[in-house]
Amino acid sequence: MASKIQISNGTRTYRNSRIVMWACFVISLLLIAFAYVDVGTISIGSNNYNLSLIRLNKAIAYTIAILGLQVVIGYTGQIALGQSFFFGTGAYISAWLIADHSWPFLVTLLIVIPSCFIIGMVLGLPALRIRGLYLALLTFGLAAVFPSIVKLDKLYTYTGGAGGKLTSNYKFIAPAWLPFDEVAQALQKLPILGGFFGDGPLSNREESRLWKFILFCVIAGICFWLVYNLIHSRPGRAMRAIRDNETSAAVSGINLAITKTLSFGVASALGGVGGAIYVAEVGIASPDDFSSLVAIYLIVGLVVGGVGTLPGAVLGGLIYALVPDWASSTQSISFVPQRWLQGPTGSLILGLLLIILTLFLPGGMVTGWRKLKNRLKPTEVRAS
Amino acid sequence: MDLFLQRVVDAITNGSTYALIAVAMVLIFKATTLINFAQGEQAMLGAFAVLQLWNWGIPMWGAVIIGMLFSGILAAGLERAFIRKFDPADHLPLVIITLGLFLVINAVAAIIWRFDPQSFPQLFPSGNAFTYNNVRLSWYSIFAFGSCVLVLFVLQTLLTRTKIGLAFRAVSSNLESSRLSGIKIGPTLQFGWALAAAAGTLGASIYAANPVLQIEPSMMLRALIFSVTAAALGGLDSLWGALIGGLTIGFVQSVVVQYIPFIPNEMSLSAAVVVLLIVLTLRPSGVLGTRAVERV
Amino acid sequence: MTSPILHVEDLKATYGPVQVLHGIDFTVFPKEIVVVLGANGAGKTTTLRSISGMIQTSGRIELNGEETRNLTPSEIVRRGVAHVPQGRGTFPELTVEENLKVGAFIRTDKDIKIDIDTCYENYPVLYERKTQMAGSLSGGEQQMLAVSRALMSRPQLLLMDEPSLGLAPQIVEDLFTRFVAINREQETTMLIVEQNAQLALDIANRGYVLESGRISVEGKAEELINDDAIRRAYLGA
Ligand SMILES: Nc1ncnc2c1ncn2[C@@H]1O[C@H](COP(=O)(O)OP(=O)(O)OP(=O)(O)O)[C@@H](O)[C@H]1O
Ligand SMILES: [Mg+2]
Repeated sequence: MASKIQISNGTRTYRNSRIVMWACFVISLLLIAFAYVDVGTISIGSNNYNLSLIRLNKAIAYTIAILGLQVVIGYTGQIALGQSFFFGTGAYISAWLIADHSWPFLVTLLIVIPSCFIIGMVLGLPALRIRGLYLALLTFGLAAVFPSIVKLDKLYTYTGGAGGKLTSNYKFIAPAWLPFDEVAQALQKLPILGGFFGDGPLSNREESRLWKFILFCVIAGICFWLVYNLIHSRPGRAMRAIRDNETSAAVSGINLAITKTLSFGVASALGGVGGAIYVAEVGIASPDDFSSLVAIYLIVGLVVGGVGTLPGAVLGGLIYALVPDWASSTQSISFVPQRWLQGPTGSLILGLLLIILTLFLPGGMVTGWRKLKNRLKPTEVRAS
Repeated sequence: MDLFLQRVVDAITNGSTYALIAVAMVLIFKATTLINFAQGEQAMLGAFAVLQLWNWGIPMWGAVIIGMLFSGILAAGLERAFIRKFDPADHLPLVIITLGLFLVINAVAAIIWRFDPQSFPQLFPSGNAFTYNNVRLSWYSIFAFGSCVLVLFVLQTLLTRTKIGLAFRAVSSNLESSRLSGIKIGPTLQFGWALAAAAGTLGASIYAANPVLQIEPSMMLRALIFSVTAAALGGLDSLWGALIGGLTIGFVQSVVVQYIPFIPNEMSLSAAVVVLLIVLTLRPSGVLGTRAVERV
Repeated sequence: MTSPILHVEDLKATYGPVQVLHGIDFTVFPKEIVVVLGANGAGKTTTLRSISGMIQTSGRIELNGEETRNLTPSEIVRRGVAHVPQGRGTFPELTVEENLKVGAFIRTDKDIKIDIDTCYENYPVLYERKTQMAGSLSGGEQQMLAVSRALMSRPQLLLMDEPSLGLAPQIVEDLFTRFVAINREQETTMLIVEQNAQLALDIANRGYVLESGRISVEGKAEELINDDAIRRAYLGA
């Protein structure tokens, strides 16, 4: 009896601690939002690095696309490299609906999600026959052709050709009932920390930026929640079984075709949502933002965070959004020749990260962190 | 009709260069069933090395040969440092590593040589060898195709007539028995990588020597897709299959795209991907694949 | 007595978490034919792979008195060990002649050609098919090729993993007759893993029985043939 009480007790404490943890997470997100609603700058030496909500919003877009890669590569084990294709598809559909039909952003998702889901499933059909490296090849090809498809003359009215599709007609307006101003002013009055939150009331532009960030965070949160539930459900277990051993998965009665196409569909839908958010942030869908290079960067995001870990997607999204930008804002580092700071240094760093992590920390940073934690507190981990 | 013939000639020109990169991929795939996504970038880097040597005053073909050696040695180093420690049967880490190499090589080349297109030494005589009505066959086309066939013959000889070539084919055929026969697997595969990179460098040099093209760091991005498709058409493990695949894809690029009205010109890349899709779906062993040895 | 060519002591091998060999000891003397019997999964293949350096092990493996446990397969081949693996011993995409050449990979002397001709004399079928892909040979022909391939390195010690697998009885008998001839003519020591206990014990000097990664019985071949337990388990009598 006693042991039973202890377990349920432990569970409740555990759950409470989880709730507190998540609350802290949400509050810190909000604090970040208010602190960086104006462009924040971090200075190291003579270099200034921007950390604005624009960057963070891009990071959210990438995070969601990487989350899709987690589903298809991380959990189902299918080497599908073409996420930029769906990222672009979502972006263009959303841009078209916003620009030509004046749809509000959120409503475009109602079209983006099912269409990307279906396109992903259809394009995933060949994957039922094509495996491993061949699939990697084909999906890489898919990523490579996306820009040339949207540049087609035939599609000009929908995609705007090489110039891209502007969506600047749509403005994010924060609902009046949200107490942004009040919160901002309360934060500014905080002792010591108040300085971080600027001063004076928020401008309209700042309010809309804040609103966007919070909205995107909520969308991302929903995506994570859905994926979390998916991978802990029956189809999710089927996916992992396929990843671990396709043959024995098939033998144990898992329907390979349905599970794989489902996984492709989910991944593509997530890619589409990411793309829609990306366009909402930058205000234009242009062909070269969805090149095969982007497909590779998304893979970098996947690997850096950790293949098959959900928090890894967040880390990956941040790294993808921040590293190239910061690399190009680095003006000088001692001992590094100027030339090496002016080219595509970000790409170089991401490539090196990809190689180094795969060589030395195959589980990515999140797994590395978990291992480190386990080593530091072995008893506690065993207890939980 | 003239236009058609002209297109066929163009197909041979493009096809030969794709075939050379495809051959490089085939060499690596044969031995390790690995597709090296960085193959095109390695070739591009090699071609830049050739350009650099030429700018330093080394005679054109001398520069090409040194450039091929350079990229061969570099590839051997890459194999040793990044590829060998991974289990060849576990594809994901290897794909990721070659994608990483792709990014790094592309960035390094862009940092060193910038993105501006530069003109490449004219490796072959300029002008047309032959004109018939409006069909022009340039010397470049003839030499590009000729070099491709020559390279295939050299590779073929190397693989069938030398001891290391035999070892390489043995490793491709049966890894376990190769080890049990005393073949050192690592150095043998390294040899394959070096050979592949050298062939790729020659391919990229010929590609860049096309009078209508210039050399720049992203020049192989498109060519990679065409080459991969060429290799897949040939079954990914046959040298001559790569040539035929290259010519086919060159043909698709210039002829099919020209003659099917609803496929605009920018679609040649998409056409290649569609071909890739069809080949992989219907005949994963390629149209010319030798994977399954039939009992006679 | 002469010093052993192969001496194995307390050999342990694991695949991941599973221990397959639990410390086995045995010895092979020059010019002997020694047979290892055992049920499926007993660890016979694992034993041979340990000797060729194909897997990590613990314990001692000595070839001619020298420790070889930590050497690579290619170094072990160069010390005179040849190994015909279970099932697929040939290079299917290479011609018959090329298969033989790969067998002689570690050699640099001039006699390779002579040895290839010797193979062809022993197995005229191989001569007829010398330019044919090995993958197109029949199972029996492939096994002949695999053995010939192994002999091309002029080994002192030949390890063979179920050479009779999947072959018709007549062919197996021919094969084993050749083993005896090779053993006499070229003084090649042989360690043969077999399921076909009757035939193997007929040509062997001594035998070991492997049971779940341990040696349970050992002795002279004649003794083993007459051992009741072995007759019941392996000879179907
Ligand atoms: N690569 C491997 N990974 C994991 N376990 C293995 C591996 N190879 C063999 N085993 C296991 O080790 C045990 C011994 O295998 P081994 O191949 O040595 O048996 P064997 O005596 O040769 O059997 P057989 O007569 O069927 O060839 C078996 O239980 C097998 O499942
Ligand atoms: Mg066995």
